[in-house]
Amino acid sequence: MALDPGIIFIGDLIAIFSIYLIINLSLNLEFGFAGVPNFGKALAVAAGAFVVGTIPFGLYAMIIDYGELEPVGDNIMLVREINSHIVDHPETAFGVFAITLVVAVVIGGILGLASAYPAIRLRGDYLAITLLGFGEVIRIIGVNYTPLVGGTLGISIPDMLSFVPNEYRFLTASLVLLAFAGAVYFLVSRFTKSPVGRLLRSTRDDDIALNTLGRDPVRIKFKVMMIAGMLGAVGGVMYASYVEGVVAFGYNRLNWTFLPFVMIIVGGMANNKGVLVGTFLFVAVRKLVIYYNDALEGTLPFDIIWLDYLALGGVMILVLIFRPHGIIPERPQKTKSLEKG
Amino acid sequence: MMAILLFDGLIYACILAVLCVGLTLTYKITSVPNFAHMSFAILGMYMALTVSKVFGLSVYAALPVAFLASGALSLFMYYGIIRILQKKKSSLISMIIATLAFDITMIGVLNIFADGLRNTFLIHSRDFTLRSLDIVIGGDGGLPLVFIATISILAGLALGLYYLLYRTSFGMSMRGAIENETLARTLGINTQLIFCFGWFISGGLAGIAGVLMAMWFQGDPSLAAIMIPSIFAGSIVGGFASIYGAILGGLLVGLSEVLGTSLLVDLLGYWIIPYRPVIPFIAMIATLLILPGGLVQLVTRYSRASKKKKMDNISASANSVSDADNADAEPAEGEGEK
Repeated sequence: MALDPGIIFIGDLIAIFSIYLIINLSLNLEFGFAGVPNFGKALAVAAGAFVVGTIPFGLYAMIIDYGELEPVGDNIMLVREINSHIVDHPETAFGVFAITLVVAVVIGGILGLASAYPAIRLRGDYLAITLLGFGEVIRIIGVNYTPLVGGTLGISIPDMLSFVPNEYRFLTASLVLLAFAGAVYFLVSRFTKSPVGRLLRSTRDDDIALNTLGRDPVRIKFKVMMIAGMLGAVGGVMYASYVEGVVAFGYNRLNWTFLPFVMIIVGGMANNKGVLVGTFLFVAVRKLVIYYNDALEGTLPFDIIWLDYLALGGVMILVLIFRPHGIIPERPQKTKSLEKG
Repeated sequence: MMAILLFDGLIYACILAVLCVGLTLTYKITSVPNFAHMSFAILGMYMALTVSKVFGLSVYAALPVAFLASGALSLFMYYGIIRILQKKKSSLISMIIATLAFDITMIGVLNIFADGLRNTFLIHSRDFTLRSLDIVIGGDGGLPLVFIATISILAGLALGLYYLLYRTSFGMSMRGAIENETLARTLGINTQLIFCFGWFISGGLAGIAGVLMAMWFQGDPSLAAIMIPSIFAGSIVGGFASIYGAILGGLLVGLSEVLGTSLLVDLLGYWIIPYRPVIPFIAMIATLLILPGGLVQLVTRYSRASKKKKMDNISASANSVSDADNADAEPAEGEGEK
């Protein structure tokens, strides 16, 4: 009954690609289009994940009576209990997941606004510094405040797809994620192709000109931070649900801030197709690297994980120097009136 | 107990101040906040470990070694990355991302170096401390030499930079080049040389800070991610515009980090300790909200007011003089609201 390794490889590839696509599209919205350097992308992602680590337990406590069991203390037993409940009552899983998603989106939006507030009126570098700080702070809280998501040990969460028969469970998860990513891609492309997309670009390129035309760049930046925070939280929800657990340590700067930046810059900023290409390229390459990791392990006199840092940082620097516009560069957006004239 | 706390607080604050000075210096020169600044310090830490444990020399011999090594790394970063991006007219944000990328790369390199040290020389290369190698004046419980060294390095730095910037012609051209590069170049000043010098000093100072860090606290590559927000907090509290602001901000943030945490432990209990990094973060946010120009803004506002009074008595040209002051260049927008 064990799944074919090839299917596992492809299923995992699709899932991770979908998760990163959601996060990268949100980062592209704020950074690529609106020019807000969100060095704290991990904030929104972690917020989404932390919501998945808490809300479903609270909701299931209302549906089923599991007595004395605590979400953090008796984590494994509780998760088993809830999973077996989901097998019999799939409809509760849909409801709980939907509510969780909504809560995560709301919290992601609020955090997006709050994290932007102190420095959004200042120059981009100040904003970058404070946002980076916010990304660190949420991780510190997650790691140290045990009741939230189990502190250093982390927490397992109920599998919302428990009702799917075991042999299809894995692929179903990948396809659900892909569907979500597709929906986000569709929405974001519609959004950026609309006049709002041009508004965002003009915020990035010349906020003074924008101001003279009666638009307030600060308000626009606030809004885009809110929307991107919402989408980032969706990404966090998806990731935590996919791995069926939340470990606060994992929501670090490398994986959820730096890597998305690398992906969208390599693919092409302010360009949703570029994001698609960049995300796929990086997820696939990293997946292959992990796949063939074992071959290298032991031949090197150091832990192989550091090569990852080296390669990612190096690639980023080289791309910034030699191909700053990415694989698919941003094109000027053609409007109907422009084509006519 | 009190003595240890005081040593902890003062040594940490001085180290942070040295790091803030370096960060502010490169920020003034290139207008790019260098997120890789801490990697220079980590390199310094490993220089200290190598010099003391591998070569068996005194830890203090590591100070010049670390200064040169980290200075060279900083220079490499300036020439190899920042300069090229500037020539290609990259945006500010791209350059910031490049510094972040350099930091990630250096974390990889330094960890590989640490693994190499461990595997080749069989020494603890992570979470190591060199405190036992330090000389303690007056036997057990006496005054550790690193305490004196840290404070004198910071004092020497403050005086040395003052002398360099305000009493030598090189310093004058340096200030000129930072203020207005084009104008300085038309006057025949080699601005490139000056900028390289600035970056070298900045990196070298961070290297020294790293050595001091390893001598009293612990040395580990993961400190790069942990300490960089504190350095930025110190610099921003200071105003991110002047060397003295950086020293002031670094000392303030460093002291409040250590002493504030111990105060909170007394009040609330030990669970608060891991939240220590939140203190500089709060200091930074508070500064940006209340006084976005930092402490320097406060000082210049005061000195400008007094200067104006004096100048009004003498002549009417007071405004043009105070306008030349650079500290008001950065975010003054929040000023009106508060």
